[in-house]
Amino acid sequence: MSGTIRIFHGPQHPGVTGNMSLELELDGETIVAATTHVGYLHRGFEKLIERRTVLQAFTIVCRICVPEPDPNEENFARGIEELAGLEISERAAYIRVMILELARLQAHLLWLAGQGASIGHELVPQWAVGDRDYILDLFEEITGGRVYHMYIYPGGVKRDLPEALPEHLNRVLEALEQRLPAYDRIFFDNAAVRKRLQGVGVVDRQEALRNGYAGPVLRGCGIARDLRRDAPYLVYDQLQFEVPTADGCDAYARALVRRAEMDQSIRLLRQAIARLPSGEIQCRLPKHRKFQIPRGETYVQSESARGAFGYYMAADGSEYLRRLQVHGPSMVHAFTLLERLLIGAQLSDVALIMNSLGICPPEIER
Amino acid sequence: MGLTLDIKGLITPFSALGLSVRKPHTLNYPRVPREPAPGYRGFHVNDLSQCAGCGNCQDICMNEAIDMVRTDQEINPKNASGLVPRIDYGRCCWCGLCTDVCGPDSLRFEADCIYVSADADSFLYMPKNQA
Repeated sequence: MSGTIRIFHGPQHPGVTGNMSLELELDGETIVAATTHVGYLHRGFEKLIERRTVLQAFTIVCRICVPEPDPNEENFARGIEELAGLEISERAAYIRVMILELARLQAHLLWLAGQGASIGHELVPQWAVGDRDYILDLFEEITGGRVYHMYIYPGGVKRDLPEALPEHLNRVLEALEQRLPAYDRIFFDNAAVRKRLQGVGVVDRQEALRNGYAGPVLRGCGIARDLRRDAPYLVYDQLQFEVPTADGCDAYARALVRRAEMDQSIRLLRQAIARLPSGEIQCRLPKHRKFQIPRGETYVQSESARGAFGYYMAADGSEYLRRLQVHGPSMVHAFTLLERLLIGAQLSDVALIMNSLGICPPEIER
Repeated sequence: MGLTLDIKGLITPFSALGLSVRKPHTLNYPRVPREPAPGYRGFHVNDLSQCAGCGNCQDICMNEAIDMVRTDQEINPKNASGLVPRIDYGRCCWCGLCTDVCGPDSLRFEADCIYVSADADSFLYMPKNQA
């Protein structure tokens, strides 16, 4: 009889960040082997998109990632614009930046709630989800939806900003700026949190580069890669921001990176409000059955809160895309990396490590 | 394993106690429903005196949630087909493409978004006739 036991952790488990499961072999509380099972949430989006006109398909892409849908909308819209030779107005580009940065802020707050809950910190999830709700209020005001916005549309954005938006946005940003130091005191500088996060889920720096890890996982290894700076899109090249990094390579380093990114997002949002130009928000599009995308292919990328998102799109001259393939950051983090990081970890570290890697199972399987 | 004492890290979390005297962010009883933002994507409304019966909304709906059906209510005399949209709220994803393509702008969203019924067929929803 072997001294280990084998358990299933997920797919229905509060500590698993979505619909995936882990098969763990335990020696007491210590994990000696782990196998990840992804694929519980295959919704066939890429195939569904091939059967819808490009204007119909834009409503599907946001559902690829629930916690942060907007980079998907933006990637899809930008890909269609590149293929169809459309140029969006500067105002639309600034509005898109605002939406993307608000999305990053709320995604980091949602991560903070998950990371806090994963280590038994009861207070920070309540604060973070509460503060995130104020950002969702802004989304509701701008787009008419709270979680899925379906707002960034090929050719621009669907609606102009409400008149009172700059004032409301400023109010939320001021409240967040006052609030974030309180998060530092209760979470990031908390001795108990440090003890739990430091030295857990340590990613090898060379491996991070070799395997294409992204976002806070890569920047938590001290590697300053960010598509907003390295391959600027929209108007990011006109805005000032830094790419925060940390050197620990562990869960705490990734937490510090995300915390610093929240400051940078607020900085970007303030610049976007101040520089928001007037003008059109949407260029004229043909009717959806007549909107034929010229033959060609493109690859567009954007930096989400969890890392680089890439969309490969191929068109054959019809009103349907011939192929769309989504490259998200979760697959490389959730598959074999997670298996390696779990070996030697405690059972109570599973949720901690999953949250820290920013794994979003809905985005693994499209 | 060395023992290092992080005094600041042990004390600062207690600063959260200071918030216990602040006004809570959560709502107190009796609950006052929050007003949705203007432009919130709730239920559909359709101004039947304007609806042209063109079926553009049905055509663009990627979920096939819209059927064009007959109605007993008075409709626009210029309604070409004599049909008006009915929405299947088991399929609708509130993307708003139908309202975007509505030529006469008769199909719109209202902010109301709560509907409860034990009758599944009632989710085949006839938008309120509203100007």
